[in-house]
Amino acid sequence: MTAAYPALALALAACISFALRKRLPIVGPFSLLAIGVAFGLVANGAPDTIGTVLDLDLRVTALGKLASLVILATLFLLVLDVWIDEPAYNFFPTALAVGAAALGVLILTAPLAIFGLLVVGLLVPVGSFTFQIQRNRSVEAATRHFAFVALGGSLGIGALALDASLPHDQPANTFVLLAVVLVVAFALLLAAIPFHTHAALLASEVPAAALALYFGVLVPTTFVAFVEILTLSGLLPAIVQVVKIQDLLHGIGLASAIGGAFLASGSPDLRRLVVYSVISNLGAALVGIATLSGPGIIGALASVIVTGASASGQLLAAGTLERRASPGRPSASLAPLAALAFVVCGFAMIGAPPLLGFPGRFFMELIAYQFAPITGAALVVATLLLIVGQLRAVVALFGSGVTGWSVERRPVAGIIGAVVFLGLLVGGIQPDGFLAPIAAFADEFLRALRPL
Amino acid sequence: MIALGIIALATLAANGSRQLRYSAVALLGVSLAANVLTAGQLTVTQLALEGAGALVACGVLYVAARDRTYGEDPGWRLWVATIVAAAATAACFATLRTASSESVSVPLVGEDPSGVTAQVAAFWLISSGVAILVTARTPVRGSLGALLMITGVELLIRLLAVPQLGLTLLLAWIEVVVALAGAFLIVNERAVREA
Repeated sequence: MTAAYPALALALAACISFALRKRLPIVGPFSLLAIGVAFGLVANGAPDTIGTVLDLDLRVTALGKLASLVILATLFLLVLDVWIDEPAYNFFPTALAVGAAALGVLILTAPLAIFGLLVVGLLVPVGSFTFQIQRNRSVEAATRHFAFVALGGSLGIGALALDASLPHDQPANTFVLLAVVLVVAFALLLAAIPFHTHAALLASEVPAAALALYFGVLVPTTFVAFVEILTLSGLLPAIVQVVKIQDLLHGIGLASAIGGAFLASGSPDLRRLVVYSVISNLGAALVGIATLSGPGIIGALASVIVTGASASGQLLAAGTLERRASPGRPSASLAPLAALAFVVCGFAMIGAPPLLGFPGRFFMELIAYQFAPITGAALVVATLLLIVGQLRAVVALFGSGVTGWSVERRPVAGIIGAVVFLGLLVGGIQPDGFLAPIAAFADEFLRALRPL
Repeated sequence: MIALGIIALATLAANGSRQLRYSAVALLGVSLAANVLTAGQLTVTQLALEGAGALVACGVLYVAARDRTYGEDPGWRLWVATIVAAAATAACFATLRTASSESVSVPLVGEDPSGVTAQVAAFWLISSGVAILVTARTPVRGSLGALLMITGVELLIRLLAVPQLGLTLLLAWIEVVVALAGAFLIVNERAVREA
């Protein structure tokens, strides 16, 4: 039961903050306190703690603990930014509920329960996506997100339920079909190309903090859940035997990696650059998983967790730059610290050394070359396109020159970007603490792949 | 079989209705018939949880409509959704049902221990939900499709030989959260339309 305390604490805090949501001076600090308490509980919890809640088995894995800490730290920074810089009263309960769902996903051991809780977590931000509904298309964006989550969620849970109910003497094609449905369901939830239309609309229409909540917290959680579900559902041996599913994962992954990078390199604004970069990194991570190898899995998970943190920093900076420049184009001269934060978090997004994003990208590209040279080359091309996109953003922000720097009055996004950068720098210099829990999970994945 | 027939008819009624309130009532009928269909597989607590989830979800949509005229005219989408759902149900049942060479007798009234009717109902609800959701223009039919799919998924999960209490509670919550998110979008979309 103690394994569930952090998630339950956040769920309770979400209910309280919903009641207090219109009292901004109270709900902001309260949300930060709740996230801090949950962080302390997770950090002090013993690894491999087990428990049972309502017939559902719980287990705190090393990967779950690591991902929980990163997610809580990201949530803390997002709530801090919204409280100080961009007050939006419905964000606080949403963020806490998303945190509770994410922590729950990371401790559950039943694939059906993991998927179910993930769907709840993905639906909660609908409330924070819609704003100024008469002036933008945020309702349409939220509606499309709702449809994608409902569709992907129901198909995925249905596929898992059928997989669990079918006898093992079933023809292999049946398991192939179910695995394909599961992969497509996750592609819908992860906004992988070609299922990315809702992400494109969200990128242009919803508040930056809500976007960061989705791409910085929920998308990494969804990816980790996907890998955990593959491990726990017993579908992996069937996937190994039938090359078609591996090919499908490869196909979706490569399409997202290359397509996302192309879209990012030509994106017209900062938010879309970040969103398409995340989609590209997710695609590369799917390729890493599709190799079904230790380095591929480690690289994929490490890359996705770092991508979430750096996307949050970039999106908050983009939001600040847009607000300061509105209705003109974002420029570094109006918010120099936010512009710097955008640039340094961009380094992590492209996996530049010595930041923590580098080991994950290095592992993925190395193993992709070993798997098939053309796949490795495609991932390198995707990285180059992402670098082009980030450089275009730097030129757009700093290109006109900065005459008379005026540091913003509340440089929250700049400070958050600096914190994210320092965290990723320290992690990059000492990557063992970050990679060891992921490697432990990769061992579990490989054991599930070839059971004795 | 009778419960299966009620599910099919109630789904068509929900799909064909131009008013959200009628769709919500028909949706409640679908959920109740689905509970009757698998009543033998669940404890009273689980049945109560499922029922409460369905009641709250349908109630939320009913209230979100605000008046009995509000809704979305399905038009040709009704026929597309019905034809696609019927074809997909048959295909799913042929491909994904438990492989068994034993002959199965399906009683007209009472429990179906083989689970065949529950599986058919689940495939029908999921296929209908997908067809409605994919062709929806507004959150009204989007919410309807999503709730039909969740009801179908609930039926599939009830056929599993695993501890059900936690999963039942989770699915009831998913139903309520889907309805709340859908209602929120319906209210906002209406505000945009009326502005």
